[in-house]
Amino acid sequence: MALISTLLALRKDARLLKIPPYLSALCIIVGVVWLLVLPLQEYSRNTYVSENALLPGQVHTYFTGSEHNIFRAYRHEVASLGDRTTQERNQRLGDILRSSNLKVATQKYSYATSGRNISDENVYAILQGPRADATEAIVLIAAWRNMDNEINHSGVALVLTLARYFKRWSLWSKDIIILISGDSTSGPQAWVDAYHNSHNPETIESLSIKSGALQGAIAIDYPAGPWGHRYDKLHIVYDGVNGQLANLDLFNTAVSVASGQMGIGCTLQRMWKHDDSYKERLQTMLRGMISQGVGHASGPHSSFIPYHVDAITLQTVGDGWHDEMSLGRTVESLFRSLNNLLEHLHQSFFFYLLLHANRFVSIGTYLPSAMLIAVNFSITSIALWVASGRAGKIPNPASTVPPATPGEKSTSSITTKTPMTVAKKDGMIALIPTALLQTNERALFLPLAFVLATHFLGLLPLYIFNNTHSSYLDLTFTIVALLSTLLPHLTAFSLKRFSRPTEQETILIQCFSLLLLGMFLAALATLNFSLSVLIGIATSPLTFIRSTKNKPVSGALSLLLAVLNPMVIIRGATFYFGQDIMSVLVKAAEGWHVWGLWTQVVVWLVWWPAWFAGSVVVSGGLFA
Amino acid sequence: MVSSLVLFLLNTFIAYVAASSDYYERLLIRPLPQSSVLTSFNFRSNESADAFEHQNFRYFPRSLGQILQHAGTKELHLRFALGRWDAESWGQRPWNGAREGGTGVELWAWVEAQSEEEAFARWLTLTNALSGLFCASLNFIDATKTIRPVMTFQPEGYHANSSNLHLLHGTLPHEVVCTENLTPFLKLLPCKGKAGISSLLNGHKLFDASWQTMSIDVRPMCGPGGGDCTLEMEQTVDMVLDIDRSKRPRDNPIPRPLPIEEIECDTSKGYNGGDTCYPLDKSEEPAWNLTEIFGQPLKGACPLTEQSGEGSMTVCINTPPERILQVNTTGQYEEAKLASDTVRCYKLPTGADFDLVLPQQRMTTGLVLTGPQLFAARSINGHGQERGSVQAVIKNPSSHSVEFVYLESLPWFMKPYLHTLRARVDNSLENPVKETYYRPAVDRKRGTHLELRMIIPPASTLTLTYDFDKAILRYTEYPPDANRGFDVAPAVIRLINPGSSDNKGIYLRTTSLLLPLPTPDFSMPYNVIILTSTVMALGFGNIFNLLVRRFVGIDEVQAGGAGGLQGVLRGKIDSLKALFGRG
Repeated sequence: MALISTLLALRKDARLLKIPPYLSALCIIVGVVWLLVLPLQEYSRNTYVSENALLPGQVHTYFTGSEHNIFRAYRHEVASLGDRTTQERNQRLGDILRSSNLKVATQKYSYATSGRNISDENVYAILQGPRADATEAIVLIAAWRNMDNEINHSGVALVLTLARYFKRWSLWSKDIIILISGDSTSGPQAWVDAYHNSHNPETIESLSIKSGALQGAIAIDYPAGPWGHRYDKLHIVYDGVNGQLANLDLFNTAVSVASGQMGIGCTLQRMWKHDDSYKERLQTMLRGMISQGVGHASGPHSSFIPYHVDAITLQTVGDGWHDEMSLGRTVESLFRSLNNLLEHLHQSFFFYLLLHANRFVSIGTYLPSAMLIAVNFSITSIALWVASGRAGKIPNPASTVPPATPGEKSTSSITTKTPMTVAKKDGMIALIPTALLQTNERALFLPLAFVLATHFLGLLPLYIFNNTHSSYLDLTFTIVALLSTLLPHLTAFSLKRFSRPTEQETILIQCFSLLLLGMFLAALATLNFSLSVLIGIATSPLTFIRSTKNKPVSGALSLLLAVLNPMVIIRGATFYFGQDIMSVLVKAAEGWHVWGLWTQVVVWLVWWPAWFAGSVVVSGGLFA
Repeated sequence: MVSSLVLFLLNTFIAYVAASSDYYERLLIRPLPQSSVLTSFNFRSNESADAFEHQNFRYFPRSLGQILQHAGTKELHLRFALGRWDAESWGQRPWNGAREGGTGVELWAWVEAQSEEEAFARWLTLTNALSGLFCASLNFIDATKTIRPVMTFQPEGYHANSSNLHLLHGTLPHEVVCTENLTPFLKLLPCKGKAGISSLLNGHKLFDASWQTMSIDVRPMCGPGGGDCTLEMEQTVDMVLDIDRSKRPRDNPIPRPLPIEEIECDTSKGYNGGDTCYPLDKSEEPAWNLTEIFGQPLKGACPLTEQSGEGSMTVCINTPPERILQVNTTGQYEEAKLASDTVRCYKLPTGADFDLVLPQQRMTTGLVLTGPQLFAARSINGHGQERGSVQAVIKNPSSHSVEFVYLESLPWFMKPYLHTLRARVDNSLENPVKETYYRPAVDRKRGTHLELRMIIPPASTLTLTYDFDKAILRYTEYPPDANRGFDVAPAVIRLINPGSSDNKGIYLRTTSLLLPLPTPDFSMPYNVIILTSTVMALGFGNIFNLLVRRFVGIDEVQAGGAGGLQGVLRGKIDSLKALFGRG
């Protein structure tokens, strides 16, 4: 009992209420520092292949000799198709695949987004594994145009040559599907949607031939023209849509085959130079996090990952001495490894941050940082809830320090100013400030309605940006950015006309807004860690802002929040990374309609409402 | 058309011959497009019903005969299959699909019994005994994998008293057929793979085939009027060999890239040069011989076959007449040409190796293949751990409507919803489903059994879809390779052809499906989590109990509740009284 009463007494202690802001700040600092120590040797691990069946690099590869001559011929063929229509191109590609005795089919697709029409045609072929019974398949992809919109000459030619070469082997225990997609993002998406029958048959053609459950997919991006180009390194792209990642075993197998067996260096996240120093590891990790946070399709493989099909893209980069045959042998060895699989890839990690081609951090190590950042909002929210239930500031009756302001000094004497209640118990008498004994009713309606309305208001920009014609997107962005900068002030101003919100309601608005933000970010951290961290850091100042009647302070805070406007941050980020805001918005709309991208939902329904509520709270001080 | 006629003629004269002799074997070779070759081995042994009853076995294997007698089995069909038949390139199936099974092992039998329970008990006896005989996991065909088809299978043999016959059917789609199943299969033959066409059967080549199926069919055959009965056992092995792959020697099976000199290049291409070569299709029929593609020679005739007449012609090859054929043997052989020279049959020499040699040849007449009457493909749609849907696409390329029975035997953990069953024909609004037989699954007791009789109009495509839920298994029910998924047996389609007098029927089967089920993480952390969770739950439960329960003696409990609704109401009334009393 003694313990409980001590705790209960502590609940009223004014010192306890001072702790939360410091605790929140500590959470944020520890969260960020946690992230920064991850690249250190002690906190990351070397990658390893967890699935024993993969046996990467344990086979001899035979893709050499006369195959090279055939590859060159196919590359000339592919080069001659560059200026043909889609129809003619796919006819010819289909003929080449058919001449290798494969079953060939095509798939037309068209998507309408931002007033544009993305339409093209996929051509694919199925190599029926002699040891297979059509229950499992692996996919080899070469998009006709790569992510930079260059024609993937050597990639397509290599895939054609490999298809012809693979056909001769009798050891395939899974079907091999050769997919030459029209482009790098919508084409594979249309194909994989149709493969799982989750497509819209009016705009996307159903697949006429299918095989079994997909076990893995490898995409090749090698845009060298008809005369070839020797490359230096393989760039392995592993991010899927919405920040989902391929199984780490697949990535490790690719690295192990390429660097261990073929002697080709591997790189990731566009880190062309990587000497495994702390700085470069950190940079790799941050680039990976940004890419994961944005959640865009980073290559032809990305669309497969949401379907639980592990996929990566192998991209050739730089000038070096490795030729197309070594890439072909890498793919051959990778396919032999995948062919060994008895079960779907499940052994290794699906949640990881890569620092280097053979160094990673697993979810157990990095997750606390996002959770700490998310928790800081919850702590402040609880503190604000407690504060909202207290009736203003109560002077300490036992204080010997005179009131600070000289004006109050003249009226002096606490007993005359503070109403007191006399409490008698067990023959003892105590004087207690009456305010301490009164319960303070919380007016919940306005804060709840306001926070809910704010979150629903986010649907408006979400709809506008996903459904505006691309030629108006730039203008729309400017207008919405301006509006969203002015809107908090307008809202605060008009609310003040009705003398609302009261001081308590202001606290409650902030409390609910932060509570929702904390919960959303904690949940998001388990799905897309990077997005949660990025938004958590961008919204962290919202913890510390308070409504104040001090106008200069309110003005300064308003200015700070104006800078933290999600739209300003997005504009700044695109500027910093040298991107065009128009193309980002077009891609985002494409993501929404084609890839099933959820990042916008998080931005408009989690981040923006939190910022808006915070801005209104601060702006209220300006019009007090 | 010609070759279909040929096949038809061949089948009829085989049937005629079979009835007259006690042992009969024949190998039929048919080249297929894309340098493949279909080889059909057919062996038949007859035993008179009387001799069989008295356990007097001559050609019929004693081991199998005693099992059949013990399990009261009157007719038996056992299939081992691997790979898939490529109907688009290879045309109609051998034996019209009547001698093939779905991927893995398939078994169906007519068992004589007084009741269903007795029939099932005998069925279990049969599967366990066959499991030992054929080194296959047939003993895993339990109640959950057994169904009793209604429309799909008809007895092939003659059964005088069919009222107490029970048809049971079971499949093992995950069973991998391999050499350990071939060896007991060959042992059942009178010549046991030592002589005759069975000497060609080599596990290395058989199981490297693109498609292969082994079957055993036992059926009673009777003369007109039900007298003069015999028990006939038919064994067949059908396989499609890829000539290029089969010709590779066993000590060097790796398909290394050919030297560039051996590749035919398209010199008309502008870029053609010393290092650039656009490969041309081989337009010529490849060269091959029996010894090469089977990896071992044909060791002369089995002495038990007939010495003269049609029954002695044990090797037949069905090619256009212009295809050059050379016979390579030291012994005496005979050649006979049938069906306007498109079938050439040979009587094998005794005691000497026999080989057929086909040189490389440019052909002027192409291969004539009859297209199949139906094409069928089945796949699982959707993704995720919770539900999915099955889609079967059945195409009728012919110009007349086809009636067929579609049989699905699903495991209990795949729970279909029959109300979601949709059958659509692309060019007709009429419902193609004419009759449905459905027996729902019972968890852990039996699987789903669905039979549909449907009609598909000419030149149209029928799409059949239904949704299903995926059950969550108990964690001991998962196999060691839980993350592979679970195999779902192929659907069986039987064409109903009223004009046909052949009681074997026309069948085709889809491929099997891989069903991924929700799988727990079977790793060490998983075990740690369930263990600690259990400990925590126990601890929490105890402490929670102590905290919220008040323990009182039974005599301390107030009679007539102070609590409950009555108590609450009384409290309210009291407070109201106090309020008014004060006012």
